[in-house]
Amino acid sequence: MGSTDALLAARLEAGDDRALAEAIDALGAPVYATALHVLQDASAAQDVVQDVFVDLWCHPGRFDEAHGSLRAYLTVCARHRALDVLRGSARRADRELRYERITLLPGQSSPLDQATAAETAATVHAAVRRLPPDQREAVELAYFGGLSYRDVALVLGVPEGTAKSRVRLALAKLGTLLDRRMLDQG
Amino acid sequence: MTEFRVPLPADLRARVLAASADARPPGRGLPEVPAIPPAEAFRRAADALADLLAGLQPGQWRRPVLRDLDVQELTGHLIGVERDIQRALAGEVGVADADHVASTQPTALAQAGVPPEVTRTAWRAAVEETLELVAHRVQDRAPVAVHGMRLPVGPLLVVRAFELWTHENDVRRAVGLPQRAPEPPVLQLMTALAVQALPHGMQRAGQGSATLDLHLVLTGAGGGTWDLRLGPDGGTGGSIPEVVIVAEGGAFCRLVANRASPRDVVLQVSGAASAASAVLAGAAALALD
Repeated sequence: MGSTDALLAARLEAGDDRALAEAIDALGAPVYATALHVLQDASAAQDVVQDVFVDLWCHPGRFDEAHGSLRAYLTVCARHRALDVLRGSARRADRELRYERITLLPGQSSPLDQATAAETAATVHAAVRRLPPDQREAVELAYFGGLSYRDVALVLGVPEGTAKSRVRLALAKLGTLLDRRMLDQG
Repeated sequence: MTEFRVPLPADLRARVLAASADARPPGRGLPEVPAIPPAEAFRRAADALADLLAGLQPGQWRRPVLRDLDVQELTGHLIGVERDIQRALAGEVGVADADHVASTQPTALAQAGVPPEVTRTAWRAAVEETLELVAHRVQDRAPVAVHGMRLPVGPLLVVRAFELWTHENDVRRAVGLPQRAPEPPVLQLMTALAVQALPHGMQRAGQGSATLDLHLVLTGAGGGTWDLRLGPDGGTGGSIPEVVIVAEGGAFCRLVANRASPRDVVLQVSGAASAASAVLAGAAALALD
């Protein structure tokens, strides 16, 4: 085994959570600083740190020390992820608005609007039912229950960051599951 | 890249660790290795040794390999082991505490003057006979008593796979071939069994009196991470020493087979040095030879 980085990566592959803790202790601050620099938003930067280290934990084999140090790898990942967040934020806000529209109770709309909305809502609910249980529960609480991330976390008994990541994963999957034309309508 | 020095928010570390554990439970190695039954591990180890033996030149069968045995006599030793296993499976108590080496030595020495092909064929037939006998007993939890071991059929077959892999590499060393790592699914069973057997090994090595906490990380395909409390229950009354050992999975198996020293195997040790020595001595004491 060569460098400290290679050993750390090998330990991560072996499922050693202490190696992950060591990686966070050693490299969490520069990863956070990188994300914060790009996003200028502490909460969003923390989400990026979480995404970067969860990805390292789930896919340690993606790090290749032949291409640079683990510090360099993680800060580059953080920068890319933060830029993705910036690019995606407008798109995501738009999509969340559309979710709200299609799941709102029919109000003063016409019978045709009501029928269309009901059909759309049924499609969304069907897609939600296809999510993994933990993600389904989180997205239902957040979007259909109207709970904040903090309240979702309290209900599910998980950290707030975990609740956020479940909702984010769920939204990403829903985006794939639902017909884009349906999302674009309205 | 410009780097700004900002501290990590206080609760972020715990949040990231929790989210990570949620995404991938700690302990299990990557890449995921397909699980195989113990009988399959034994068969694969036997196949690998059979392939090696089938390719030996006549003179290579005479090469000294282990203790006072040459390659052919070592194969004879393995015939003897299979016969004892079969007796144990049949419930014969005479082999329960028989010495692994002494009990098989007559069969080993009986190979003198026998054509190597006959020895090889006899060993392979003995393996097939064992596989037939265990075919319907792999789920059997009743211990089989042989050579001082008391193990259910499944773990016993993993021990056998371990021994065949060890002797395959003994023969490889004797004839100048490179060592072969076990296939990851076989290695996974071997490492899991070795870890499970560590308390027994520590007792054999006279290291079983102290209580300690072990965080063991075995790297490479088929590896994993284990947290174990070793030693007598009830602890020492004071704080329990903790030791962290990181080793490559295949190398750890060579240590367990007593074919490598701790110095060759360990990638990283931290914590109580005496506890680490006790664990590694215990691992090396698991070998049957």
